[in-house]
Amino acid sequence: MSNETTAKAPVAFKTKVILLIIMAIIAFFAGKEFWELRHYKETFVASEDLTQVKWLSDYLPSLKGTWADTPIYVFDSGVEGGSVFVMGNVHPYEPASSITTYVMLENIHVTTGKVFIMPQGNFSGSTMGSIGGAYPKYVHIETEWGEKTYKIGSRESNPLDQWPDPFTYVHYPDGQNLAYQDIRNMNRTYPGREDGTLTERAAYAVMEFIRREKIDISIDIHEASIMYPVVGTYVAPDSSIDIAMMAAMTLSDSVFDMKCEASPKSLKGLSHREWGDYSDTLAFLMETPEPFIDRITGPITENLMLYGMDEFLVKAAEKGLVYVDYPVSYWGVEGEPMWYRVGRHLSGALEAINWTGLFYDDKAVEVTWPTYDDLAENGLGYYLHDPALAENIDRVQVVYHKPVSVNN
Amino acid sequence: MLVFWGDLVHYLYFVIAGIIAFFLVKNLFKREKRNGLVYDIVYAYCIIPFVLRILFIK
Repeated sequence: MSNETTAKAPVAFKTKVILLIIMAIIAFFAGKEFWELRHYKETFVASEDLTQVKWLSDYLPSLKGTWADTPIYVFDSGVEGGSVFVMGNVHPYEPASSITTYVMLENIHVTTGKVFIMPQGNFSGSTMGSIGGAYPKYVHIETEWGEKTYKIGSRESNPLDQWPDPFTYVHYPDGQNLAYQDIRNMNRTYPGREDGTLTERAAYAVMEFIRREKIDISIDIHEASIMYPVVGTYVAPDSSIDIAMMAAMTLSDSVFDMKCEASPKSLKGLSHREWGDYSDTLAFLMETPEPFIDRITGPITENLMLYGMDEFLVKAAEKGLVYVDYPVSYWGVEGEPMWYRVGRHLSGALEAINWTGLFYDDKAVEVTWPTYDDLAENGLGYYLHDPALAENIDRVQVVYHKPVSVNN
Repeated sequence: MLVFWGDLVHYLYFVIAGIIAFFLVKNLFKREKRNGLVYDIVYAYCIIPFVLRILFIK
């Protein structure tokens, strides 16, 4: 066999060059896709209540200039009260979380206390996506003035920023062994490490932010596959479980079904466990149903992200294998639509904040933003404002890993 | 110190990716065994991820 292969006449040099050029062209078009997502800049029209823009690197300077740095928008009412931190896109392939924060950022009004909103919790992860798995790069939300485009990122930090992975990820400081890729999963690296990997440092900076700003209520927004039991729920540690339970009962009674899960003490690195253990904050994690990330779906398309309808999941639901109502039906559209998931988060966060104020007077924050009912009536796009309008131009903010002029 | 070692390993892997890319190119143009066109296509194709990695694209 070896003699046979060596006996073949070599391919001409010119053919090899042509092959290399063809591959370079393929590489160019493939690379362009990755490059565009890596450098895409999301924008929003900030509410008039915006008082300050901070950066995660303000709390850990070694993050400055890295792709883990990310902006934190501050809304200070000037009236003494509690403080709330809302974090989106810790897992950037769950874009209802970042879109929820954008709806908040564009429409928030605070009358008591302070609200801090971080739309891209793991900025590095938002720059990768799963293009190699034929996932769409973006999700587009229709508005009255055109389309608004948001990234569909990855679950973990981008390997361009943190690479290689170890064979086993050993959690710091508990020493628990976790899956190797979880070393780039921000929601497995809390409480973080000041001199650790990029993701551990980002997690440490979030902890420092919560401690230094004395955040009373911290809300981590996620989405989950509908065949995963922890979906359509709050997850809370002992310190906030009573509040989460009351909020879940209120929502289930009046708006939509919401569950409440206790944060497991033995599973390390998660926000709902470590935020409360390593600071005085009351931690809440929220999950909505996102069929896009279920394992048994058909084509992974933008429509699946927007509407959440999949025939295989319908079959699974018929056999009782899913953990939420599926499909839900609104306006003749069946699935788990984006507005529904964003609306759940908006009302879920408000309910947790309101109940915290009822439990603890000194932690009360009075804040409004659109609710589930508002989105059910007007749609999601209604609450995203046109950045081109003259009255909005000065309020346009660009969400990137470093400051960017809005005129760029 | 951990940040330093982490960065060192990170860049070391980029160098390794560069070396592998170099040998893939070398073997595309100059190799003694398996001289068929299919192997040329495979070599040329396999260079793509290493080049994208070195260019900080993927």
